[in-house]
Amino acid sequence: MSGKGIRLTGAALTVLGLLGLILVYWLSFFWVSTEVSQGIAQRIFYVHVPAAWTSFLAFGIAAFTSGMYLWLRDERLDRAALAAAEGGMVFATIMLLTGPLWGKIAWGTYWTWDPRLTSTLLLWFIFLGYFMVRTGTENPEKGKRFAAVVAIIGALDIPFIHLSVVWFRTLHPDPVVLKPERPTLPADMLTLLLVSLGVFTMLFMGLFLLRYALENLRAEAQARSREATA
Amino acid sequence: MTTMRKVRIFALPLFMLLVAATDLAGQLPSSQLPTQSLKPYWHVFIAYAIVIVMVLGWVVSIARRLTRVEAQLGE
Repeated sequence: MSGKGIRLTGAALTVLGLLGLILVYWLSFFWVSTEVSQGIAQRIFYVHVPAAWTSFLAFGIAAFTSGMYLWLRDERLDRAALAAAEGGMVFATIMLLTGPLWGKIAWGTYWTWDPRLTSTLLLWFIFLGYFMVRTGTENPEKGKRFAAVVAIIGALDIPFIHLSVVWFRTLHPDPVVLKPERPTLPADMLTLLLVSLGVFTMLFMGLFLLRYALENLRAEAQARSREATA
Repeated sequence: MTTMRKVRIFALPLFMLLVAATDLAGQLPSSQLPTQSLKPYWHVFIAYAIVIVMVLGWVVSIARRLTRVEAQLGE
């Protein structure tokens, strides 16, 4: 796909994603039934879980493209890793901010150092380190390689986060969709969750493509300025 | 009208008034009455606002950087 094609696809997916977000909000406030035990606070679930899923997807892409970059040394893979890691940070921040708002109502506290919350915060800090390593290393090529290793290490935390509620005694609710048995959510709640998951994924993919296109343009601008000075 | 009957006529409303007053005294003033908490609503609104701010923030940030690089390339 050409640079312009990537930008157009990214822009189209972003616009569709933003319209989808409006639909998710409308469904959440006016359509879906209210959960009996948690009340209205349960509606935070429809943005918290998709944000978590999207951040794991983004960090997964960042780790995969980083691994491929270390192997093939193709600059485009590093740019894709950077774009995905930035998106991962955005959605991980949403997850880490919306979760405690629900926790305050459900548990009576914004934060508790239980395995899932702690390992999720650790993931956020590892990917913060990814950006610090990239920008903090004197040799940019070395910085890219070090950052790629950090992304791979960070992604190893994702399966641990998912399984932490099974392996440890934790306050965090167990999975309600991704589990060996059938999902335990009522049909309308499951429908809204799946719609929201689709919308968040679409938003991420659109913005990821735009961010990737931005890195390609930056590389082109750098190459032109190098040619001009030479 | 016998004395007993006069007593009953005045005593009964007086007794009822006293009972009502005692009942009212047992109630809390309206300012201290427990109100239904709106906290969960605020938490939901804040959570949904965070999503909008973060996503639109990223959209605007990418758009500004893209415009800058495109202008740089156009020069």
